[in-house]
This record gives sequence, C-alpha cells and structure tokens, in this order.
Amino acid sequence: MRIIPGGLSAHRPGGYRRTVAMFRLQGSKTLAVDLTGDAVKAKNGSMVAYEGRMTFKKMTGGGDGIRGMVTRRLTGERMAVMQVQGKGTCYFADRASEINLVSLHGDKLYVEASNLLATDAALRTGTAFTGLRGGASGNGLFTTTVEGTGQAAILSDGAAVLLRVTPQYPLQVDPGAYIAHQGSLRQQFQSGVNFRTVMGEGSGEAFQIRFEGDGLVYVQPSERNTVGGDL
Amino acid sequence: MSTPVIFDPTTLPSDDNVNSYTFCVELDNGRWFLQKGKMIAYYGQIAFDGIGHGRFERLVRASFHSPLHASDWVVAEGSGKMLLADRAFDVNSFDLEDGNLTIRSGNLLAYQPTLALKQSIVPGFLTLIGTGKFVAASNGPVVFLEPPLRVDPQALVGWADCPSPCHHYDHGYMTGVLGGLRSLTGIGGTSGEEHQFEFVGAGTVLLQSTEALMPEQATGAAAGEPGVPGDPGSAPRGSGPLGDLQRRFGV
Repeated sequence: MRIIPGGLSAHRPGGYRRTVAMFRLQGSKTLAVDLTGDAVKAKNGSMVAYEGRMTFKKMTGGGDGIRGMVTRRLTGERMAVMQVQGKGTCYFADRASEINLVSLHGDKLYVEASNLLATDAALRTGTAFTGLRGGASGNGLFTTTVEGTGQAAILSDGAAVLLRVTPQYPLQVDPGAYIAHQGSLRQQFQSGVNFRTVMGEGSGEAFQIRFEGDGLVYVQPSERNTVGGDL
Repeated sequence: MSTPVIFDPTTLPSDDNVNSYTFCVELDNGRWFLQKGKMIAYYGQIAFDGIGHGRFERLVRASFHSPLHASDWVVAEGSGKMLLADRAFDVNSFDLEDGNLTIRSGNLLAYQPTLALKQSIVPGFLTLIGTGKFVAASNGPVVFLEPPLRVDPQALVGWADCPSPCHHYDHGYMTGVLGGLRSLTGIGGTSGEEHQFEFVGAGTVLLQSTEALMPEQATGAAAGEPGVPGDPGSAPRGSGPLGDLQRRFGV
C-alpha cells in the first residue's frame, strides 16, 4: 500500500503529481475549496470566508486572455471572474443559490455565465454561439464553455435535476429552466407557436430546446423570465 | 461528496417527487391540466395546448369550471414523463378520494382531469372536487393541522372538508381611547396579527411555513348578481386607516 503525501493530489498519466483544488459542498449552498498552493477561478465577490492564506486577483474580461476578453465584450456573455490562490480552505456562495459540482474529464460543459460559480484553474473557459435558443431564454446568443479536466461548480435556483439524454430518449427543456449541459448534444430550437398563440390562447410552453445525442442536461426547478415564457 | 443522481426516462419516478422542488408526471396517452409555464422539461411526445382548444371541449366541460383561469391553464397530452416545478418552491402531490379541497389559486400547479376544478366562493381560491391526484407548491414544506384553529392569512395554502372558513378580527386591540386613536390614525403601530382566518368543524387545514405569498392569480368575483357577496357596484373606498371613514359614519 502506498501513502500519498498531502492526500489532496491526483495522478496524471505522465507520472508526476499535480495538486488539484478539491471542491466539496458544505451544506448545499456553500462551496468549500481546499487549496494547496494552486488556484481556482471564481465569480467575482463570491468568497464568503476563508481559512489560511489566500490572495484574490480580479481577472479582466473573464480570464480568457485578450482574445477572450474581446469576444466576451462583443458577445455580451460578460463574466466577472477572480483568481483565488493560496493554502487553506476558501468558501464560496452566491445569493443562497444551490450549488452543483461537475467533474470534467476532458469534455466540455456549456453553462450560462451567470450560473458559473467556480472552476479549477486548469479548466479553460471560453464562449460559444448557442443560436436561437439563447435569444429565447433571454441570455443572449452566446454561452460560456468550460473545457478540460477538473471540477467546476454551477449555480441553480433550487436543487438542479440531472437528466441523461441518449439517442433513443431525446429531451425537451423549457429555456427558462435550462442551466447547463455537457457531452455531445445537438440542440435544436422547437416552437409550438401557431395561430392560437396569436389569438391569445397560447400554451405557455411555446418554446422548447430539444436535446439529441448523448450527454447530460442540468435543469433548475424554477424559470427565469423569458421572452418566450409568456406566449 | 456523493455523486449526483442522473435521471433518465426509466429511472425517473412515476407521478412522484424527483426532489423536494421537482415533480415528475408520467403520461401514458393521458391528459393532465397544468398551469402555464410550470413545465421545466419532458421526455417523450407531449403536446401542450391552451384550454380554448376545440378538441378539449368535452374535457373542459367535465373538469374545468373557471373561465377566469382559462388563459392560465393548459392541457398536456401524449406519452412521456414531464417535470414540473415552480420558482424553486416545495412541490407536493396530494390524492383526493371522492373529496374536496380548496387551495390558493397561485399554489396549484397541475391536476388530473378526473378532478373537477371550480372557483371557490372565497376570492383567490380554487376548489377541486372528485377523485384524483393534484400537485401543489408551497413556500417551505406544508403543515397539516386540524380545526378548530385560526391561521395567518398569508400562511394559508388551503383546506379540505372544512365547512366554515371565515375571518376573525381581534377586537380587544381596537377598544379603549388609545386603541380607537390607533385604529383611526394608524399611529402606534400594529402587530400585523389582528386578522386571522378561522376554521371550525371536521377537516384539515394546510399551511406553508412562510408568509411570503406566491403571486396570486385573481380569481375575481363573480359578476354582480343578487345574492353574490361583494358589491362591485359601489364606489371604491380609500385605503389606509382613515380611508374607511365613510363606513364608520354610516355613509
């Protein structure tokens, strides 16, 4: 039996060890991150307490570098991010929202910038075009992507439900309740608008996002106000 | 940390809670009534149509008797599983067996068409009659209590079988010189608890553990007919402590 010194380490295929920020939930609304000299990126101002020594650095333009900064400016997918580095435990929370941990193993997570609380510094963040879906959910036409290997924490209003999509089980989601998805999914905007909607006999569920393929979708038990929500 | 539960159509519960905020309804070529905008996701083939849809005429005639709410409700029809939720409030399902239950209109999310929905004569409330399942939301878990009791108006979710819901006002607060001054001018402050709903007789009263209300859907008063309480014809009275002077002086 081998004892790994420090305990908070993960093995990489290359054979050397990399210290990894450990994400865990303290209750369901507070995120605790154990740091051993490494860094995490977190929503600006979301730190509620820390133990040990920490430095907080605002990252201009979402922390994606100059190109990312320009993209974020152009797409309106703004994200105020800070980098937290140090040794100890740092606690994050945002408006008593429920927090969901996501482990990424080289795949890509699509999440609305406002729902992203913290990511491992090793994860790359960027922006992606979402098409019509974003327009209807009132979140702009772009969304944030998180890519790489590590952990991320996403926010939801109420405990999120994780739904699996497989080729034989496509899923339809209300744009207001959608928060994130991962895996290789095609999304398609589906509208049930017909002449009844125009006559004021709408079903209230006129717009849906249809997910097909293989992956996971995060849905929150609450709806943001959307343009499509009233139809 | 435990790994989060991942649901798919085979593991989702059938007509039961997924978590305390989300409820899963299984449709097998059936129909459910639901309030607009409470569906968050679904698997399968489900169509949502407004109540006014022609082919629902028989269904609506049998189990929907609230023209004022027709624009707030839809019929879900098809096969699959759909998830219902409402502003991250607690969601619970209730079974009625040849019973009746009255509920605040904003709290009712969905019901089976075997139940009939009617407007309660208490404004702002809806009554369900018959046998079947319905889903209701509450801010915080629901508490069940037996009458006789008095409850805070904001905490009331609904009641079942109670024959006589009525208002109760604490009178002692308004008596005496000080009390009179206070009630006339509003100076001196109130505890905010002088008014309650009172229930007597056999039945069950449902309360939520908060006084924050869900935005209400007006159930409105019935049109001004003889014998219908409420007097829509009279001039509106001013609000505020002095606004009710006309009544005090019998004007």
